[in-house]
Amino acid sequence: MKLELINLTKQYGNFTALDHVNITFTEGIYGILGANGAGKSTMMNLLTDNIPRTEGQILFDGTDILKLGKDFRRALGYMPQQQGYYEHMTAQTFLSYMADLKAIPKREARAEIEKLLEITNLSDVRHKKLGGYSGGMKQRVLLAQALLGDPKVVILDEPTAGLDPKERIRIRNFIADLSRERIILLATHIVSDIESISDRILMMKRGRVVGMDRPDRLIENVAQEVRESVVPGHFSLEDVYLYYLGE
Amino acid sequence: MRELGRIFSRRRLVLGLALILLLNGLLFVREQRKNDYGLDITLPVSGGIFFFDGTFTVTQEPVDAWAAYQRYSEWIDRARKLPLADAVTMLTDEKAALSAKITGDTDTENDRLDYVAVNNLLSQTDYLTGYGDWLENIQKNKDNLLTFSIFNDPNSFSGRNIIKTADEFEKLQGVELTLGTDGAVDSFMSFRLTDYFLLLMLLLIGLSFLEERKAGLWSVVHAAPNGRFKLAIRRTLILFGTSVVGVLLLYGTDLALGFSLYGGFGDLGRAVQSVETLGRLPMLTTVGGFLARFFLLRIAAAFLVSLLLWLMLTAINNVKYTIIVAASVLVVEYGLYTFLPVQSAFNIFKYFNLFTYISLSDLYTNYLNIDIFSYPLGIRSISQLALIPLCLILAAVCVYVHCHKKPAAGHDLLGRVAYGINSVTDKFLRRLHLFGMELHKTLWIQKGVVIAALLVYVVFGLSYTVSIPIMSSAEQAAKQYTTQFAGPVTDDTFARMDAEQTLLNNAIAAHKDAQAAFDAGLIEYPELDKYAREASTAQTKSEGLSKVRSRAQELRDKGAAEGFAPWLVDETPFESVYGARAEANQQKAALVAVLALTLLLAGSMAYERQSGMTYLLRSTARGRGALVLRKLLLAAGMTTLVWAVVYGMEVYALLSGFDNPAWSAPAKNLSMLTAFPLNCSITAWLVMLYVYRWLSLFCCAVLVLLISSLLRRLEVAYIAASAVTLVPSVLSTYVGIAALRPLSVTLPVSAMPLILSANGGLTRAGLAALVLLLTAAGSAACLSGQGRGPRLRLFLIKRGQARGGGV
Repeated sequence: MKLELINLTKQYGNFTALDHVNITFTEGIYGILGANGAGKSTMMNLLTDNIPRTEGQILFDGTDILKLGKDFRRALGYMPQQQGYYEHMTAQTFLSYMADLKAIPKREARAEIEKLLEITNLSDVRHKKLGGYSGGMKQRVLLAQALLGDPKVVILDEPTAGLDPKERIRIRNFIADLSRERIILLATHIVSDIESISDRILMMKRGRVVGMDRPDRLIENVAQEVRESVVPGHFSLEDVYLYYLGE
Repeated sequence: MRELGRIFSRRRLVLGLALILLLNGLLFVREQRKNDYGLDITLPVSGGIFFFDGTFTVTQEPVDAWAAYQRYSEWIDRARKLPLADAVTMLTDEKAALSAKITGDTDTENDRLDYVAVNNLLSQTDYLTGYGDWLENIQKNKDNLLTFSIFNDPNSFSGRNIIKTADEFEKLQGVELTLGTDGAVDSFMSFRLTDYFLLLMLLLIGLSFLEERKAGLWSVVHAAPNGRFKLAIRRTLILFGTSVVGVLLLYGTDLALGFSLYGGFGDLGRAVQSVETLGRLPMLTTVGGFLARFFLLRIAAAFLVSLLLWLMLTAINNVKYTIIVAASVLVVEYGLYTFLPVQSAFNIFKYFNLFTYISLSDLYTNYLNIDIFSYPLGIRSISQLALIPLCLILAAVCVYVHCHKKPAAGHDLLGRVAYGINSVTDKFLRRLHLFGMELHKTLWIQKGVVIAALLVYVVFGLSYTVSIPIMSSAEQAAKQYTTQFAGPVTDDTFARMDAEQTLLNNAIAAHKDAQAAFDAGLIEYPELDKYAREASTAQTKSEGLSKVRSRAQELRDKGAAEGFAPWLVDETPFESVYGARAEANQQKAALVAVLALTLLLAGSMAYERQSGMTYLLRSTARGRGALVLRKLLLAAGMTTLVWAVVYGMEVYALLSGFDNPAWSAPAKNLSMLTAFPLNCSITAWLVMLYVYRWLSLFCCAVLVLLISSLLRRLEVAYIAASAVTLVPSVLSTYVGIAALRPLSVTLPVSAMPLILSANGGLTRAGLAALVLLLTAAGSAACLSGQGRGPRLRLFLIKRGQARGGGV
């Protein structure tokens, strides 16, 4: 399974939000790091075809996702950065509705919803309206809907924003436990969220990919480059983040 | 000041208040028009003719109430220059003369207007001249009633009540009543909707005090140094200020509109009893004095009501729970106030009631003492006396509650109940498919079910038929002959008409013979009179028959030329429902249909954006084409619902009001469809008409969906969709801005004004349908573009890359 971004560009007037990005994603968890405005969400929106691209291609197993249309979206699980939900629906109804939109048969959906409510620790509040949920609970519902239908490509835009430390660890572990036979893109600017679970880290700055490798290799590479100025053994991904993305 | 700024910085609140003011003014004027400006516009019956199975009265065009009111103003000016007794004599003579003209069929439009004016003025003078006697009767009644053993116990409620009533009205002995225009004060006192608009206004302000709770800021406000006592005092002052401004604006509008409609301020120095509505007010004051006093009491009452609402809304921690409790209290109080009989032993709940202070005018238009421990107490006096102390006590309680209510206290009982209910509804909702969920969102989440219920309520109040006036006896005869000879026009029809004509001719000839016999002294006058009356009726019938014959001949010729079967049809049912005279009804029905549809669908797409769901929905397999298709199906479903309710009632009105209309007759036999290009039956024409209306409504629904999809907020979507679908229609139909007529959606929805030949025939209807269909198709294409877009974009990107650039 391959998801390729070829020469992908997005411009808003004269501003280039994504600048000729070329990446190939295969199975695994990809942590996408970048400051606000780096182009993470733009890339996510292009991958979900929520904004039109200016140039380039996104190929899923060799075919452009625009051509694949709903066949690609059937394989897609998406959790947007902005918390979008129907405040007058309960978690149960919301997930049933999303399952229907994902064309999951009713019987399968029921079992999956049960499982996901359990995993996201929402079983006891499943009949409460989403408007009455805390920010963390809403995040968990959105994560649950993204995972409905066992998607092959999971795109999670800031999945742990607004969660308390306990919840963040819980969600992080859950993502880490997800089957590796899928592509998981996890955008965040919280380094610790992805440090331990990502197979690859993608560094983005001003619409460009400035670095992409395994976390340990990134640390090693940066450590070698700046070894004179740091104490050996105390180098972390946050330092890598600052090295690549700092001003 | 900051609290005031916070409250009025909410655009929704300001918009709501402005809407209340506007609606109040509009409905006030509408009410005056509906009530014929307070005039009784009936005319004396003008006679009738004997026909086959009874006597038929000739009906007349209704009198223009506004023109009659202008005439009334002229007559009252004339009457006021005379002493009251002379004015009564003059008016009585005038009424008799006008009545004779009207019943003798020699009247003109002016005579009818004068009759209405004089008749109403006489009713007014009757009241003025009889008021002294009425006062005397109260005193006489006292003496009479006290002679009965059941009333003469001075320690019983009945005995005391009789004495108190007589004593109170004794003060009015000798009061001088003056003739004047009472319309402004009458309308001001009787327009109850303003009371409820004021309640709504106060409720909106009260609800704005709950904002901090909804936003989760209550604890912060409560912990702030000025968040308790000072804030409570400020809010009390805001409520007082709102009461003053609200009363002045709402009731001031009523009074200003009343004075403007009914001819200026008039004599405000008259005794208040000169206005019949206030005749039972045992208070020596002038009209102006009463109005000033009423405004002051109205302000105090509004303040009291606003404090009560504030108390109800803040006494409970949970916002939803508190709204439910407040609404329940209001419903119970309204029920007690409205439905509890005056004579009930529990009438204390009727009068010591929140709505006593809301419907304040009742205290001044009725005189009533209630039994409090066998003492009669005037409900007006008690309510007035209690107002200020109650305001002070309630203000203190409200301040206390605001300061001492703990934000974190209280149990979420409602939450637990809601959770239980949700668990049941979830079982049902999870079985629904995409369309079912869209229906659920529209009807339940966006409160469409309330719109549907209101639609049914409003439709039951709509009028679908108009009476077709019959201007002369001959016309009445023609109508009856049309019924008699209804059916296909054949040689037999003409033969039957000839036979009828012979009978009529015989009756006319018999009168001539009788005249000759009378001249020769062979018969007496009563016998001649009988012949004369029969001949007169025969003459009228002959004129009617001649009209029917001409119509039959005309249809036969036209049928031969255009290839349809001529058919004599009683057109009254169709004219009454679909004719030009019924255009106002059709426009109103169309407006109601379009309004309901707009309110049902305007939130459909905007709700997705407001909820932040657009990107998420679009990332799912069925979140584009399939979802848009369901939205369009929903639009079709809602269109069908509205169409069935609005036009189902129209069909019901047609079927229930008339016996056996000629359904199978070719449509071209109806005068209004002379230019209709298709040869089809009336039934087929009706089917086409209703299908056309459905299509027009559906196009409107799709347009509303498109507008909704372009906007991010529900309120804005409702306003924008209403502005597009309703404003041009309202302005062109009710304000008369003809330039907006082509943009009026209600025109193709009502359809008939376009179809009727007098207005341009079927071409216009076809053009309107084409424009609407194109708009709907364009809208649907824009909506479903989300589904087809990717392939198009892929094509554009490839083309751009081939040219060496982006798109």
